[in-house]
Amino acid sequence: MKGVFLGIDVGSVSTNLVAIDKNNNILSSLYLRTNGQPVEASRIGLRKLYKEFEGRIKVLGVGTTGSGRQLTGIMVGADVIKNEITAHATATITYVPGTRTIFEIGGQDSKIIILKDGMVTDFAMNTVCAAGTGSFLEHQSERLGIPIEKFGDMALTAERNVRIAGRCTVFAESDMIAKQQFGFSKAEIINGLCEALVRNYINNLGRGKKLEPPYVFQGGVAANKGIVSAFEKELNHKVTVPENYGVMGAIGAAVLARELIERSGNSTKFRGFECAELEFTPTSFVCNGCDNACEVIKIVMDGKIVAMWGDRCGKWTNSIII
Amino acid sequence: MKVSFPYMGTTVIYKKLFELLDHEVIEPPVPSQRTIDLGVKNSPEFACYPLKVILGSYIEAIELGATTLITSGGHGPCRAGFYGETHYRILKSLGYDIELIVFDAYKRDITGTIKNVRKILNGKSLGYLWKTLKIVYLMAKSMDKIEKKIQKLRAYETYKGSCNRAWEEIQKIYDSVKSIEDIVNAELQSKAILDNIKVIEVSESERIKIGIVGEIYVVMEKSINLKIEEILGAMGAEVERSQYISEWIDYNLLPRWVSKPYELEILKKGEKFIKEIIGGHAKQTVGHIVDYAERRFDGVVHLMPFACLPELVSQSIIPAITKEYNIPVITLPIDEQTGLANVQTRIEAFLDLIKNKKRIRIA
Repeated sequence: MKGVFLGIDVGSVSTNLVAIDKNNNILSSLYLRTNGQPVEASRIGLRKLYKEFEGRIKVLGVGTTGSGRQLTGIMVGADVIKNEITAHATATITYVPGTRTIFEIGGQDSKIIILKDGMVTDFAMNTVCAAGTGSFLEHQSERLGIPIEKFGDMALTAERNVRIAGRCTVFAESDMIAKQQFGFSKAEIINGLCEALVRNYINNLGRGKKLEPPYVFQGGVAANKGIVSAFEKELNHKVTVPENYGVMGAIGAAVLARELIERSGNSTKFRGFECAELEFTPTSFVCNGCDNACEVIKIVMDGKIVAMWGDRCGKWTNSIII
Repeated sequence: MKVSFPYMGTTVIYKKLFELLDHEVIEPPVPSQRTIDLGVKNSPEFACYPLKVILGSYIEAIELGATTLITSGGHGPCRAGFYGETHYRILKSLGYDIELIVFDAYKRDITGTIKNVRKILNGKSLGYLWKTLKIVYLMAKSMDKIEKKIQKLRAYETYKGSCNRAWEEIQKIYDSVKSIEDIVNAELQSKAILDNIKVIEVSESERIKIGIVGEIYVVMEKSINLKIEEILGAMGAEVERSQYISEWIDYNLLPRWVSKPYELEILKKGEKFIKEIIGGHAKQTVGHIVDYAERRFDGVVHLMPFACLPELVSQSIIPAITKEYNIPVITLPIDEQTGLANVQTRIEAFLDLIKNKKRIRIA
């Protein structure tokens, strides 16, 4: 039986699962839609993985990341629950050693991570606006009636340059409509959009930072060749897209879990693939113990309260004895 | 008259001042979602976040019966200087007939200050006022000392929340002081409470120290800054703020021959990167980052109200400071958004970065 480490990245748009062995070889990777139901998506992923391997593997460690990392971490019994910046950086350092700058664009957020000697030295994450992320591209692909998978290829066929405002999705959209009325082709509009997104991304997140090559571009949006070429044009340098660009967060979580288990020598807290079948209900209530009126999150698993958080005083958090 | 004031940080201190002057004090409620909603609804959309929240606080205080609102004025060329007038006009247009007393920097407006002092004196003598101010000032000093201890302890508490509970208890103790002697006793009692908090031992080399800088309201008021001190504390980092009430008094109220405030030092440290006082706390922010770097803090969290002009300027200076002093700084814009996920992620990654850096430095 082969020992594996699982990584689960529960994001706003996609939920990804990977299984790696102790030499960081990727044995399986899954890319699923979260559809607003992080718990359900992780369950489906776990079932699929279980089916794929049917008892041929032994899980030695699990790591979770992404905005749903806490919840999923409790459900599966994760050894490591890490933020996505550290997870992404870990994966990139492992698979593309020597990287100095990581561009990561996901469904609802985007990041720049600056590395030196395999260490994160600086990072930035979009704050107030989703302009330039996957969700916006997806919305535009729907509006233009072009499947998102074909977006990138189509951008590459553009013959003329169209400048589209990338500062804000609202402005970008009205600009696109205006340029359509001028008679530019869809391909040119899409290309203009890709360039606008990259420009906005670099101005916004890269502000005041020195972006040094080698560059790596990952996250779901890296599938879009139009964006990749816009990056290369903007930076005037080659940009590498790693093989598993879409699941780098999950890979990072798996690598972090492997490192922790190997360093500590502990056995995993993984609840087993059966956890996908257990009843798991997150609920919340407002505690009226004092004026703070905290919203407390309560997680019930198989009839037992397994976690509580959100209380300022610690009354509920401390009430769980594991 | 029924007196109230903006809610910011340790409000027991302002309350004490007006209580000792025999005013009926209406304490504004801790800013909640309702406060924010009220403020946002009645403020201009592009106003800064502190203006909105303070407006919400005023409305809630008026609902509780306050007839006079007392606040300090802003100085320097930033919007904060218009807060008093803007708040007054908005409240008036909402039909609230109240008096708003704004204490602007007394060195710039002596007659105005004297007029305002007469209003709040409540028939007391100037001698009594002087005594009262002294008590309040010593109380602020003492409370800030205790709070600084808590900000360190929180990183190591064995039971989550024990520091918060202790702080609540301590504020109640200080709430009942009436004399300088009471303050000394309150401080002793508070220290005893702190000594009883169970903590995990962490070696000096593994301790993480974070400074919090930025615009005063978002730095001092935890109910609107996502309880940043508690988030950092829970992740095992000691914190220190750039603003404490007693230090504010040192700099803004005390004559220079009485005390030489540390803030002057801070401003000097910022001089290299920003010469002018551009309003708000931009120059202090820059100076404090340099100060934290010199005091070997591990990192700095920079808080700014979304679209705050002075802090936008300091944000753009930060890369130069980071480069020269090699200290990581993260900027968090604060607005109505209450979702924690994004901030949590960034703070976590920021501390990961700091820990890695520290590990290398030690090795």
